[in-house]
Amino acid sequence: MASISLKNVAVNFPIYGAGAASLKKTLAASVTGGRFGKETGVTVVQALSDINLELRSGDRLGLIGHNGAGKSTLLRTLAGVYEPSAGEFRREGSVSSLIDPSLGIEMDATGVENIMLRGLVMGMSKKEIDQRTPEICEFSGLGQYVDMPVRTYSTGMMMRLAFSISTSVEADILLMDEWLSVGDAEFTEKAEQRMRDVVSKSGILVLASHSPDLIAKECNKVVKLSHGRLEAVDMEAFMAERARLAA
Amino acid sequence: MTQEIHSNLHRSALSDWWEGTRRTDIWWTLAWFDIVLRYRRSMLGPLWLTLSMGAMIGGMGPLYSSLFGTELSKFFPHLALGIIFWGFFSSVVSEACNAFVGSSNYLKQGYFPISLFVWRSIARNLIQFAHQIILYVPVALWAGISLSWSALLILPAMAIAVINAHAIGVLLGLICTRFRDVTQIVNSVMQMLMFLTPVFWLPESLPQRAQYVLWNPFAQMLDLLRTPLMGGVAEMHSWLGILAWTVVSVVGSTLLFIKYRRRVVYWL
Repeated sequence: MASISLKNVAVNFPIYGAGAASLKKTLAASVTGGRFGKETGVTVVQALSDINLELRSGDRLGLIGHNGAGKSTLLRTLAGVYEPSAGEFRREGSVSSLIDPSLGIEMDATGVENIMLRGLVMGMSKKEIDQRTPEICEFSGLGQYVDMPVRTYSTGMMMRLAFSISTSVEADILLMDEWLSVGDAEFTEKAEQRMRDVVSKSGILVLASHSPDLIAKECNKVVKLSHGRLEAVDMEAFMAERARLAA
Repeated sequence: MTQEIHSNLHRSALSDWWEGTRRTDIWWTLAWFDIVLRYRRSMLGPLWLTLSMGAMIGGMGPLYSSLFGTELSKFFPHLALGIIFWGFFSSVVSEACNAFVGSSNYLKQGYFPISLFVWRSIARNLIQFAHQIILYVPVALWAGISLSWSALLILPAMAIAVINAHAIGVLLGLICTRFRDVTQIVNSVMQMLMFLTPVFWLPESLPQRAQYVLWNPFAQMLDLLRTPLMGGVAEMHSWLGILAWTVVSVVGSTLLFIKYRRRVVYWL
């Protein structure tokens, strides 16, 4: 049984590169009596604040919001990458995350080798991976290319490979950032079908997207992120708005 | 806003460390691919490093033995093992700095125990080392080294080396991810330590008042690893010193691990 529960969750990022990461400055500041502020005062970005979210089996959540609103950060938090800075986070069920297709792909390795690497990292055993490799190759539709280094792939092909691997594992929760659109029509349809299969096995889907059409088609709930805060969006109002825009 | 954090993904430090350690298939494969991919388009692959190291040993051996006025058959094995082990030490330490930054593509993808990536870096260096220790075989045969049962002390010495490599990996990995300049500092310190460690020179030629140089942990570790392979027995102070050092590095890295193991992704 899959479920996700967030209560008052916040994620704060200290931003170092912006003039503060160097040891010299930190040391200098501590020696000179800790002059905070411009020199070492670490800029903290509140990427998410006061997030409350309850999801259970069968929920397909669409995540909307403008660039930088915190969609990917929220997905990463759900994936367990970032431990929340505050609040309560509960997650039941295994997760498959497709946040950035190129992350975790070794460019110089072939498609098949990447299946092995990513499969292992996702927790499969070598034997399981060997068993599933033909099926993954088949689904990706890459043909002979699976034995070529990934650096020879186009973005769309890379996405096909990453999607095929990530969804080959039985997971209860599927986290996706919008990149389904990179594929061509034929693959997009196949991918959407698989996404539905995963979710229909009593799973949860969280899909961040800028496309109202995709969200209307795949999701039964919508929330909007703006400036790191969640705003509930009524699904019916969302659909009505979309219909109005389409008209 | 409450600052209390509850997450059911949260694992205790010990089980977090163990999760990363027990998945040997993951980190060995990652390390293996690191090596394979690094050299995919070269014919000799990792043996290139072996070749260049061999050239260095072959070139320096005769020269330095006449400079120091020592017999070549005694000096050559000393120098060969010195260079081979130092190469291992320095790449373990400098790659430790990069353990997490170099694995950010995985760390940003999901919940991973960070010890996994420290083991990956160590395994990669062990594979590289296995290619280089071959060089010692012809040297030992040529010099007529005879090994006794005490050569088996290399096994506990290697185990201690790996424990320290792991501790330093966690320690430097965390520090270098947070403070990016530390990587440069570490590299220059390692370069300096190479000269303070009897890699090239013989410890016997050190005057009495400078004996304290042999107390640096790298000199002691080198003694523990090198001497048994040359048919001798390592100094007692090397064992004691390294054991003390191991306690320090393990305690230090444990403290940092407990505190920052889930924080490190924020620094990437």
